[in-house]
Amino acid sequence: MLKFENVSKIYPGDFVALEDINLTIQQGEFVSIVGHSGAGKSTLLKLLYAEEQPTSGAVYFNERSLDAIKRKHLPFYRRNVGTVFQDFKLLPQKTAYENVAYALEVAGEPDEEIAQRVPEILDIVGMSSKMGKYPRQLSGGEQQRVCMARALVHHPLIIIADEPTGNLDPISTWEIIQLLVKINSLGTTILLATHNKVIVDKLSRRVVEIDDGKIIRDNEKGKYSGTKVNA
Amino acid sequence: MGMKITKLQRTFKEGLSNFYRNGWLSFATVSVLAISLYIISVTLIIGVASNIVLKNVQDKINVSVYFNPDVQDSKIQEIKSKLVSYQEIKSIDFVSKEQALEQFKKFGNNNPSISQALDEIGDNPLLSALVIKARSSDQYDVIVKAINTSSFAEDVSHIDYEENKSAIQRLITIIKIVEQVGLTLGVVFVFIGILITFNAIRLTMYAHRQEFEIMRLVGASNIYIKMPFIFEGIFYGISSAFSVMLALFVTSKFLVPITRGSIAGGDILDFYLSHFFVIFGLLLVSGIILGTVSASIAIRRYLKI
Repeated sequence: MLKFENVSKIYPGDFVALEDINLTIQQGEFVSIVGHSGAGKSTLLKLLYAEEQPTSGAVYFNERSLDAIKRKHLPFYRRNVGTVFQDFKLLPQKTAYENVAYALEVAGEPDEEIAQRVPEILDIVGMSSKMGKYPRQLSGGEQQRVCMARALVHHPLIIIADEPTGNLDPISTWEIIQLLVKINSLGTTILLATHNKVIVDKLSRRVVEIDDGKIIRDNEKGKYSGTKVNA
Repeated sequence: MGMKITKLQRTFKEGLSNFYRNGWLSFATVSVLAISLYIISVTLIIGVASNIVLKNVQDKINVSVYFNPDVQDSKIQEIKSKLVSYQEIKSIDFVSKEQALEQFKKFGNNNPSISQALDEIGDNPLLSALVIKARSSDQYDVIVKAINTSSFAEDVSHIDYEENKSAIQRLITIIKIVEQVGLTLGVVFVFIGILITFNAIRLTMYAHRQEFEIMRLVGASNIYIKMPFIFEGIFYGISSAFSVMLALFVTSKFLVPITRGSIAGGDILDFYLSHFFVIFGLLLVSGIILGTVSASIAIRRYLKI
């Protein structure tokens, strides 16, 4: 469903963020992407939700090159992709409910549908008792649950999570990961960028390691630190 | 179509809730916009009012052409009808020597020596005259020259232009300076106002810039992100138009003692009240235009896809 073909990304100033990436991800997979800060994980994900365009090569989503999507159709594409971030990216002036509803409003969903789906999804992530609160009134873990609800409310085919637990305590971290596993078990593809060793080892799913813009390891049921082939 | 209306309603509500949830930021933006509009409208009102004052003064300028005593009234009427065709001349009034005497007596009413002197002369010493008003005060020169070189020049005793010339010239200079200074100040203030407003709204957008990114990520189209801010710009415009109307009312109330009688039939407050809807309409329109144009220019740079 997702394919990177000879993808390179060079930022202005000749900074090479990704170099010749080839990667295929099937529908329903749970893939952890690991590597140091600055290794290129976030850039890889940004290419997926079309926040950045590759310098060369192509990214395919369901056989379709993202390059071929017209700029004005990008919002429609993004509704197939749920995104979750380390810094939550909730709208500060909106309540938990409104933040989730916003994702449906922009798609032009009817009011009745929104009124029905938002509480449902907030219930799934365990936030229905706090849906009237503003982000500043919520803890990090709670904010991240709201983000998950927002990412899920479109029934996206894939969830892209960029260090979703980077700002969370161990208990909240684990709750968020459990939620991701649950979503995955319902068929949604998950792409998780992290450098939390404990999580990756415990998940025991596919692990892709990136270093210096290149994929250096791709293991089914991998661990955070793979068997050092080159060492 | 239905979806478009839904989205329009949603972005409108969005804009409204941005406006009151960002209370302080909105207040600051509206204040800046209001101050610019206030300065602009005060400049314009002073311009318009001083124009009216100057027009009044200008209307009082005229030259009188006095005819020799032997020229018949009928001949003068004939000359008058010729002069009427002059483009530069706005109006001509015939004042016969009898009328002139009447006026003179009226002026000298409480001065017995004048009426005594007149009685002693016995005959009416005054001359019949044509009182000419030009369309514009700088055309008297041309008119007087034309009369002096015309076929009836020898019937003319004298024209009081020479005596009044320096006064008229001075007035013309003052009018021109006032007009030029007013226009320049007006343009400068309008420009400064636009600049200040634009900057204030740009800062507001800057404060929102992270939200634009979030909205994009959850699949909002650029126009959907933009519309609430356009509406917000409209609300800025409306709120500042109301504040400026209030400020102008208070200002003109203060200025009543200074301006009494200077504007035909009243003072600055009367001017404000009689032009209330024109001023309000202009403020509303310019506030809304300033607000929305600044908002849409400012937001553009944050709306890469």
